[in-house]
Amino acid sequence: MSEIVLETKDLTKYYGATPALDHLDLQIPRGSICGFLGRNGAGKTTAIKMMLGLLHPTAGSAALLGCDSAALTPAVRQRIGYVTEGHRLFRWMSIAKLERFQRAFFPEQWDDRFFGDMIEYFELSKKQKIKHLSNGQRAQVSLALALAPNPELLIMDDPTLGLDAAIRRQFLEGMIELITRQGRTVLFSSHILADVERVADRVVVVDRGRLRADCSLETFRASVRKVIAKFPNTAPSEAQIEGLLHCRHSERQLEMTLVDVGDAEVADWARQAGAEGYEFIEMNLEDQFIEFTAPPNHRRLFQWEEVE
Amino acid sequence: MRFLALLRKELRESLPWLLLAGLLLLGVGLLRLGPLNRFSTVEYWQYTNGLTPGETVDPHRLLRPGLLRWPGLWLAWMAPALGLILGVRHFWMPLFTRTWSFLLHRSAARPTILWAKLTAATAGLVLSLGASWTFLYWYARRPEVFPIPESAKALASGWIYIALGLVIYLGTAVSALSTARWYTTRIFGLAFAAVATLFILSLWNLTWIITLTILTLAILLSQTIAAFLDREF
Amino acid sequence: MALWIQISSGSDKPIYLQVVEQIGAVIARGELRTGDKLPAVRTLAAELVINPNTVARAYTQLEQSGLVTTKTGSGTYVSDPKLRRGDAADINILTERMDTLITRGLNLGLGRDELTGLFEDRLEKFTGKTDSDTTNHE
Repeated sequence: MSEIVLETKDLTKYYGATPALDHLDLQIPRGSICGFLGRNGAGKTTAIKMMLGLLHPTAGSAALLGCDSAALTPAVRQRIGYVTEGHRLFRWMSIAKLERFQRAFFPEQWDDRFFGDMIEYFELSKKQKIKHLSNGQRAQVSLALALAPNPELLIMDDPTLGLDAAIRRQFLEGMIELITRQGRTVLFSSHILADVERVADRVVVVDRGRLRADCSLETFRASVRKVIAKFPNTAPSEAQIEGLLHCRHSERQLEMTLVDVGDAEVADWARQAGAEGYEFIEMNLEDQFIEFTAPPNHRRLFQWEEVE
Repeated sequence: MRFLALLRKELRESLPWLLLAGLLLLGVGLLRLGPLNRFSTVEYWQYTNGLTPGETVDPHRLLRPGLLRWPGLWLAWMAPALGLILGVRHFWMPLFTRTWSFLLHRSAARPTILWAKLTAATAGLVLSLGASWTFLYWYARRPEVFPIPESAKALASGWIYIALGLVIYLGTAVSALSTARWYTTRIFGLAFAAVATLFILSLWNLTWIITLTILTLAILLSQTIAAFLDREF
Repeated sequence: MALWIQISSGSDKPIYLQVVEQIGAVIARGELRTGDKLPAVRTLAAELVINPNTVARAYTQLEQSGLVTTKTGSGTYVSDPKLRRGDAADINILTERMDTLITRGLNLGLGRDELTGLFEDRLEKFTGKTDSDTTNHE
């Protein structure tokens, strides 16, 4: 049933000799809210801009709603909502003028009442000029402008950067409102992982230009796990187990972060390594993300010494 | 529908500058032409041209002596200045305010977005400076005024300045759209436009002037289109 | 009917599990009774600002444990407690949790009587409310 609304094949972008994005292969099905995750500079904005035809790929291709990104027709663009990074709008325009401008591009689909309701809910006046709005208010206008045309595919580039908790929540509400309509899809990049966990059902993780994960949120949550194994004598400094991301050891304990490792395999390893016991530690999405994207052999920045 | 929305936006964005330019030119012109009725025309002729009676004037010069000389001088620099300002507004400002992404994702073909800007600039120059200039021309030719050298050539000279304003506009656009550093090839567009403008202004032959202006416009227009369609934002 | 439950994001516990547990608590406390209709998936999703699929998953899990039943086209309803049957795995989990509680209590220095008293106190809070309602909790 799932039709793919957003697809990239080997999408690559080089700036000089540095790959900002390296062979990205993505498939996002219709009806999902996909959280686009990655550290700063991982290549998320680059990917989004290529998907929207604003940047030319060095190699590979992208397609939105079945249409090649390099040749998006106005008809297809009409079905795609885009919230830009920083919510940059024309500063000299009033909200009313901006509404009029935006509406001209969505002749049959613009929902006047919905836009008006949102502006009222945000306690804004249509006469206000964009340059007199705060960052948060501008973001709210940006959200209203993107939702009023009832887009089939909504792409948002870090929409809640620097916004307060209340406005962040409004963005989430907007996403849920959209997704409850038939056949809508949302792709948004974010650093607030608690927000992503709330509303996303898929995650895509990009790390230093490379794709690390493209799966359901459930799968990701279940795959990245932390295990603490206790040893009768000194704990080994390393662990030979497939799927190991990192491990740290103290006197008698070994803490491991594992990806895609089944319970049975952990049990096997524990037996072989001579551990006297082990337990799984629950992590929230933020911790999972940090562990997942940390470089191998990473250690904490600040080391605390034990005081005897 | 979409083109009109884009055009309306570009015009409205540039409106303050257009009004300023048009009214300034009108003001300067009327200031010079206003006192006409008080002087005798010969006295005024001397007054405005710094000529002694009997002195002849080369009829081929572009900037010819006449009642419109002073406003003409103003127009000669105002048109390129307005062209520069419009070029900056249309192509440089969106880089600073980072609004290109928003504009380019509107459901209109990229050429349409460019044509809206170009049309707005052309219409702006024509309607603000062109209208003021044409009005001053008509004003200077009123029957109660001694009908000295004002002729179609004088009128044409003003319009050529306006066309050169468009040349500067396109030169600014090409420079803005270039992705090179400012101290390398980026300056070429504007430099080419400026050099061409100064060169054309130094000429005397009207046919040459018109031909070169059209040629320069054609070159810069094709450069602008190519740069815009290809550019990454 | 409005369902006032609270979701905490950024928690170790997956959101669908929070929904399952809290609806379970609501049913146990008798705030939702047999035959009561749970909010539609979309409605609850919008109310809690979470993905509708998460709500759907929670409802599915509740149905698997027999707390609710879904009638296609109609909605999800709280099921008859007489039809609920915990399987062996559920009972195991329950036993484990009880063990944890007992361990904690004993470590705190509570005696057997104190523990039992505490347990009955809490049970009162759930079942005490619906003493008059004979269909609940036998």
